[in-house]
Amino acid sequence: MTDALTLSNVTKRFGDFTAVDAFDLRVAPGEVLGFLGPNGAGKTTTIRMVMSILYPDEGQISVLGHSRATEVKDRIGYLPEERGLYRKMTVNQILRYFGKLKGLRGRDLNRRVAEALERVGLSEWASRRVETLSKGMSQKIQFVSAILHAPELVILDEPFSGLDPMNIDLLKRLLIDLRRRNVTVIFSTHQMEQAEHLCDRIVLINRGRKLLDGTVSEIRAQHATRILVLEGEGDFEPLAECAGVAHAHITAGGARLELLDGTDPDGILRRALDTARLSRFEVQRPNLQEIFVKLVEADAVPDPSDEATPAAPGAAEGGPVDA
Amino acid sequence: MRKIVIIATREFLETVRTKMFVISVVLMPVLILAFVLGTGYISKIAEKEELPARTIALIDHSGLLAEALQKQIDEHNEQNPLRRYVLKAEGTTAAEVERVRARAAANELYAYVVVPQAAIDGDASCELGRVDTQMKAGRTLRRMVTEAVVAVRFGQLEPPLDRDFVKRLERKVTFRELDLQTGTEQVGDTMTRVLTPFAFMFLMWMGTLGISHGLLTSVIEEKSSRVVEVLLSAVSPTELMAGKILGMSLVGVLLISIWGGVGLFAADARGMSSLITGMRLTYVVLYFIPGFLFAAGLMAGIGAACNTLKEAQSMTFPQSLLTMVPMIMWFYLTEYPNSVLSIIISYVPPITPYVMILRICADPHTPVWQIVTTLAVLWAAVFGVIWAAGKVFRVGVLMYGKPPSPRELLRWLRYP
Repeated sequence: MTDALTLSNVTKRFGDFTAVDAFDLRVAPGEVLGFLGPNGAGKTTTIRMVMSILYPDEGQISVLGHSRATEVKDRIGYLPEERGLYRKMTVNQILRYFGKLKGLRGRDLNRRVAEALERVGLSEWASRRVETLSKGMSQKIQFVSAILHAPELVILDEPFSGLDPMNIDLLKRLLIDLRRRNVTVIFSTHQMEQAEHLCDRIVLINRGRKLLDGTVSEIRAQHATRILVLEGEGDFEPLAECAGVAHAHITAGGARLELLDGTDPDGILRRALDTARLSRFEVQRPNLQEIFVKLVEADAVPDPSDEATPAAPGAAEGGPVDA
Repeated sequence: MRKIVIIATREFLETVRTKMFVISVVLMPVLILAFVLGTGYISKIAEKEELPARTIALIDHSGLLAEALQKQIDEHNEQNPLRRYVLKAEGTTAAEVERVRARAAANELYAYVVVPQAAIDGDASCELGRVDTQMKAGRTLRRMVTEAVVAVRFGQLEPPLDRDFVKRLERKVTFRELDLQTGTEQVGDTMTRVLTPFAFMFLMWMGTLGISHGLLTSVIEEKSSRVVEVLLSAVSPTELMAGKILGMSLVGVLLISIWGGVGLFAADARGMSSLITGMRLTYVVLYFIPGFLFAAGLMAGIGAACNTLKEAQSMTFPQSLLTMVPMIMWFYLTEYPNSVLSIIISYVPPITPYVMILRICADPHTPVWQIVTTLAVLWAAVFGVIWAAGKVFRVGVLMYGKPPSPRELLRWLRYP
């Protein structure tokens, strides 16, 4: 079975600034992929190259088996990070317009527009102008316009940014629904929590390069540093000397210990009871957030004064700047 | 191609539905008609008002003029009972003349005339002084004094000569003029005939300006409302630009048809439809299309490079300035259609259509090779500008922030 998306050795430069650096990626059909990374990591640039809005300087991209997304645009749904609607058009007009541009027509188009509006509860707003809609309503229209034509591949760039909790919930339901229908979904975000719950697989990108690629459980297993949190009254200082403690943060009311692989938390518990009375003892599994922050920090450029400049040449060179 | 049509359709419908379009469609012809008919109508109303009698002081050094001038004024008052003059003879000493001048300056007199003896015998000037600047009154006063002086001159002839006899000899020879370009007898006044080519040009100019500006606004709106990247997921930048230009061109054709239709109707109503020949209309269409496409391509490119209308306006300024040239030079171009300067500026693409329409209307024998070559240069420029706009569009449409410098724009053109 062909991959829904393949990137091999893709590089994109804006002047002296390398936005995406020899990037490889394979996405299987039906997979939900979280594309994570800090701001300026190269997420939007990569997505725009996938969409054939930008072209890579080096490397190959294959989308649904074609070398250019332009050839299969009608089978892809895309929600850009910078998204908007025509203010003067009615909700119905704008959905019909986007639908037509994606190759829908006639009765099929009418039916899908009506269904989409019903799904997000905006049926009564169909003949109202976009400018009369609230921000949350506009966002709903944007989601449904991206998937109106039942695409096989859906690419969402920062879909959660700027949403209220209601819309976050709605978007999650839409994504779960897409997964159930076996649609391949790629979405970029820097909100790890969303990715953790929704994705089959996660890719972390920083400074244009891939730092991490795997399922959530794989990543957790690989980076299984465990954290031990103790609270209570007494002396916690001796715990810093215990075998298997990599790093200790001791306070008057407790301790936070980072354990090396294979350390038994029970031994530490016994040791703590010697000198203190405990009110809390917890083994924390690291969340993605912590893993990513650690990885990204470790990946930091040696000299921070160089770090400040790369974004600027990108703008000056006239290339779209990855936000 | 289907997507280009979809984009063009939306562009067309959305533009035609705007208030701005409806206003410009209706308002433009109303304004023109108001300007052409209104000014004449207003001055006619003004003439019906009765004015108080105006006193003219006469300082007559010859001592012969008073009677003749009084006769002229009586005739005038009879014909224009609402515009009466009263003649008052004054003394001729220097002090008296000074006093009359002062009174006229203080508006106690409407005007004064000093007639030296030499104005009757020789070529000396009369002196006419007044405060206001009404052209018509000035003309009337000069005419009446002239008539009076000439009458005195006739009276002094020995042997006398019958003035009416001389006037009959000098009566006007009339002409029946045939316009060989339109093949009809001339109707309407000369001014209307001279203005017809200007009207053609102005129509094209307004159409092109209005619609290409609409395109600029529409591109900037798509950029600033962030719709553009959503669109680019469905169509290529080239398709988007082509669709927008096509849609706006249709708006332009509609606008020109409406305005042209109104113009044709108005000309027909005044019996001057012969001025609008099929040949002239053919040339209007032949030059309007590439002229419009040139402006549209330019505006699409500039719109894509800018984020706000203000930025765009500073970039379109040179183009706006250039398109003013035919407006300023239209009279020169009509009078000297085949001068070297006229020929040279025919080859400046942004203004080629306007210059050529004026030249062809003024001289139907404009050499065919010039028509062919100007059209060729214009079309080459159209392809050039659309190619360049496509390049700029592709890069610029997703660029936010500072507008590019001319050097950066040139680099965009070199992108593959």
